[in-house]
Amino acid sequence: MNKKFYISLLIVLLTLLTACSAENANSSAEGNSGEKKKEVTFLSNFPSETLDPHLNYTAVRAGITETLVRVNQDQELEGWLAESWDTSDGGQTWTFQIRKNVTFQNGKKVDAEAVKASLERNIQVSEAMKTALKIKSMEADGQTLAITTEQKLPQFPSELVHPNTAIVDSTLENMEQEPIGTGPFKVVSFEPNSKLDLERYGEYWDGEVKLDRATMTFNEDANARTTALQSGDADIVYRPAIESLEVLKSDQSIKTNVVSSLRTHLLMYNSGKETFKDPNVRKAFDALIDRQAVANEIMAGQATVAQGPFLADSPFSPDYEKKQFSIEKAKKYLEEAGYEKKEGKMVKNGKQLTLKLMTYSYRPELPLISQVLQSNAKELGIAIEIQQVENIDEYLAEKTDWDLATYSLITAPRGDASYFLNSAYMAGGAINPGQIHNDELAKLIEELNQTSDKERRNEVSKEAIQIIDQEKLHSFLVHPNNFVAYKDHVLNWQTSKSEYYALTKDLDVRTK
Amino acid sequence: MKQTGKRLFELVIFLFVLSFISFVFMKAAPGDPVRYMLNIDDVSITDDRIEELRNELGFNDPIYVQYWNWLIRFFQFDLGESYMTKQPVLNELMNKVPDTLALTFSSMAVMMLIAAPIGTLAALYKNKWIDHLSRIFALIGASVPSFWLGLLFMQLFSVKLGILPAMGKGTFLHLLMPSLTLGIAMAAVYVRLLRSSLLESLGQDFIRSAKARGLSQARIFFFHAFRHCLTPVITIFGVSLGSLLGGTVIIEVLFAYPGVGKLVVEAIVRRDYPVIQGYILFMGLFVVMINLLVDFSYRYLNPEIRLRGGDRR
Repeated sequence: MNKKFYISLLIVLLTLLTACSAENANSSAEGNSGEKKKEVTFLSNFPSETLDPHLNYTAVRAGITETLVRVNQDQELEGWLAESWDTSDGGQTWTFQIRKNVTFQNGKKVDAEAVKASLERNIQVSEAMKTALKIKSMEADGQTLAITTEQKLPQFPSELVHPNTAIVDSTLENMEQEPIGTGPFKVVSFEPNSKLDLERYGEYWDGEVKLDRATMTFNEDANARTTALQSGDADIVYRPAIESLEVLKSDQSIKTNVVSSLRTHLLMYNSGKETFKDPNVRKAFDALIDRQAVANEIMAGQATVAQGPFLADSPFSPDYEKKQFSIEKAKKYLEEAGYEKKEGKMVKNGKQLTLKLMTYSYRPELPLISQVLQSNAKELGIAIEIQQVENIDEYLAEKTDWDLATYSLITAPRGDASYFLNSAYMAGGAINPGQIHNDELAKLIEELNQTSDKERRNEVSKEAIQIIDQEKLHSFLVHPNNFVAYKDHVLNWQTSKSEYYALTKDLDVRTK
Repeated sequence: MKQTGKRLFELVIFLFVLSFISFVFMKAAPGDPVRYMLNIDDVSITDDRIEELRNELGFNDPIYVQYWNWLIRFFQFDLGESYMTKQPVLNELMNKVPDTLALTFSSMAVMMLIAAPIGTLAALYKNKWIDHLSRIFALIGASVPSFWLGLLFMQLFSVKLGILPAMGKGTFLHLLMPSLTLGIAMAAVYVRLLRSSLLESLGQDFIRSAKARGLSQARIFFFHAFRHCLTPVITIFGVSLGSLLGGTVIIEVLFAYPGVGKLVVEAIVRRDYPVIQGYILFMGLFVVMINLLVDFSYRYLNPEIRLRGGDRR
């Protein structure tokens, strides 16, 4: 009796499965019978809980909304919804000319008044943007928008590159589900953290949109993303699993695209501690890191060696002195700092050099980098204790018991050095937990904060970075790559260095 | 009626205590959402601004003041807004609950379809090949990590066979892989549980007397032995149900199937207090409900419990 029951159960299950696959076959057949639509599915690794452009980057990445200013691949600013801008008083009063031919995806014309309303909502919902933009007042007149900031803010246009400053029709509700922007694609439907369906906006201001439809899906698991590309669930996959890159490259139907990102992995020193007040100790640790090995072995070749905080080809990078890995050199620096190696231990005043290094697992390569440094230091008789924490920012800010920390950030997200210089080297900056203070550097950063001429700004930034480099205030290790894999029928894909842009009007597919 | 009133009163007290304790723990944990709210990783922020926002949000007030403010809003049926998405917490939870429910029940269904026949057969044919097979299945099912199993299913059903979507949600098909992954892992436990529980009830006196009364094999099995063996199974079932409803983060991430698990883990990482607090209350309510149902089912499954209750009255 039981056997019968079991067998009939199996039959029911099998019937269900066959019904499913039959249903699947039907749906794809339907797709082929109609007129061939051009569409792609883009699989992103960035989760998206909301579409509200003032709180999340997805709306800009998906081509729904656009900002007034954008940053190109050479890290230079370009007008986007703003044609041009200038300042009459060195960075406190700004006049933006808004493009004339732009409409929102509901047909409304975009004028200065609409941009003003969008920015007003922006600083109301986002504390971050309120802090970044420091807008005091705005006046709209036709296509001209005059903005006055609370203080001189020469980097103001670069702040407007931030995806959270995107321009939307702010008179509408439902911003988290269906923002109405000016981009090439408008929202059809949105499932948070799962799927975003888009269709072409026919009246797009910047020329023909090649695709009819686009879908953006989200998955935070790198292996699952790789699988989705292989199964055809996605045409373009952002950051497939690093270890699958070779397999994907060998697949004839898949193309890969690799660019250096604007992200930098670095080593922080706690200047609040006596040990690291001595530049010689910092120089010693800088020489103890084998950057090439980190890039080749830990990052599986998917990184470039960093000589400084910014990519070498950025407009505000000076000619860095080339970093060399040498345990011998490190030993010399330590000897200059008054240490000596006794019985296999590095000692000063009879005490062994013992340090605490903080790291975190969100970027799995950082704990590995910590271990490499630990073993190199051990050769010199330095004892490093590694501690892993969940939230590195909180820990470094609240505690003072650490000596070193691994860290990672996008140093120049918007074509300007001022964010990194102000946050990491000024007293009270949110990413200066090591209490770095250097008078000469602080003067330069203050000068940068008062300078509005672009050429001069780049010069001042270079001078500041020279000091950081000579003093080894941080040790910059590698710039990880951004890599994207896509099916060969996808055309005009460009991997953005800033990670701000993904779906564009030019993105296209070859119809079979 | 009186019973129900008493139960309801107990429930309200329980939720009140739960909300207070969780609030204190949440606030006692280091960190707060301010750095995330200010995007320190790409906006130039100073420590002064961080402190200013903390004051604005009342994070520097004494804990009892913060709790009181939360409670006043709660009595107006307002769970507050998420700091990250600025959406009402109730909406955030209600958007996710249906999907989590769907995944919970489909996983449970898969588990039952696997565990019931295998567990029963293993008990009926004790120490025969089917029993050994069930033991091997239980061992493998319990030791294979679910994310890896999920990836294997993806390779098989999406890449090789191309019959199931690899990720996302929406149709019955999207539910199949995640519920198979969860169901198989759970079934491993239930197969052994069902087997041992069934063997125990088959050896009971009442089974022997039922046989003596000349009842049919099938009737004895289904109406006596099987019903009796369900008591421990239902207890564990309640626990599984609770943990599934709490969300299964790994599966949700892997199959991009957004449920409450992912929501709350994000909220915990970012210290999104209103969301965490709303989730704890919601889960507390669910667990109490499930326990009530489990208690109630005992009375039906096991006449002894019902009769003992009658004696007391």
